[in-house]
Amino acid sequence: MTEGKAEKNIDLPEGGTIVLMLGNPNVGKSALFNRMTGANAVVSNYPGTTVDFMSGTFIESGHIYTIIDVPGTYSLEPRDAAEEVAVRMLRDHPDATVMVVLDATKTDRGLYVALEVMERGMPCIVAVNMMDAAHEKKITVDIAALQRLLGVPVVSTTATSGEGVRNLAEMLRKAQVADIGAIAERLHGEGQARESVRGCDGCGGC
Amino acid sequence: MQIKLSDLPFGATAIVREIRTSAHNLNCMGLRIGKELKMVTKQPIKGPVVVLIGELEIAMGLETAEQIVVETTGTGA
Repeated sequence: MTEGKAEKNIDLPEGGTIVLMLGNPNVGKSALFNRMTGANAVVSNYPGTTVDFMSGTFIESGHIYTIIDVPGTYSLEPRDAAEEVAVRMLRDHPDATVMVVLDATKTDRGLYVALEVMERGMPCIVAVNMMDAAHEKKITVDIAALQRLLGVPVVSTTATSGEGVRNLAEMLRKAQVADIGAIAERLHGEGQARESVRGCDGCGGC
Repeated sequence: MQIKLSDLPFGATAIVREIRTSAHNLNCMGLRIGKELKMVTKQPIKGPVVVLIGELEIAMGLETAEQIVVETTGTGA
């Protein structure tokens, strides 16, 4: 997070990790992207602002991350051009880490595409963004419970103020492949799998 | 009482019981079976039909709304 640059063409630094930032339209992916890379992607308060994509890099604990800001999508079964771009980017970067961005006020909708990503077996991390908006609407999101359920790191952020962004950057290296079967089991209350997420940074919920 | 979503009056609330069209398209937008929704806008001819599910506003065509069966829970009056 110390150095950042953004560019249209992706040239990959040696040994870096590609991070695909994915989520519903209008959840603040570009705002988060700007926060993490110091870039200047267009952010506006209406959906469909990112129809192309941008990439940027940052260094966290000596590791280079190339973040790609993917257009918003509701699912991985594309229904329009922007969604097709999103799906193609997932396909083109099979080794990438996926950062799924959720709107804290609309988590259930965001989790639909999050689970679709997890089904693909890509390492994931979830950012629950717009925590300030949720707070205003008196919505609380149980981050610890979500992390326990999904078995991947879940971090709360407010991209507009920068809250939690540092933590998100640090947690990127802990992104991991989710086990869809285990998630279903935990949802149905079977197999009291209460083991904590590997590398949890002590959220207190485990 | 089970009716088509397109027949739900303004302001009335209902629970989604059946989706007879592509469920995927509606599910990924947050409209799923068992969810409670409220009718916000309903334009004649082709729509749009707009419903509110929690914080979500979902717009769809009238043909889509005709394929959704809901159970009314309140008139909103």
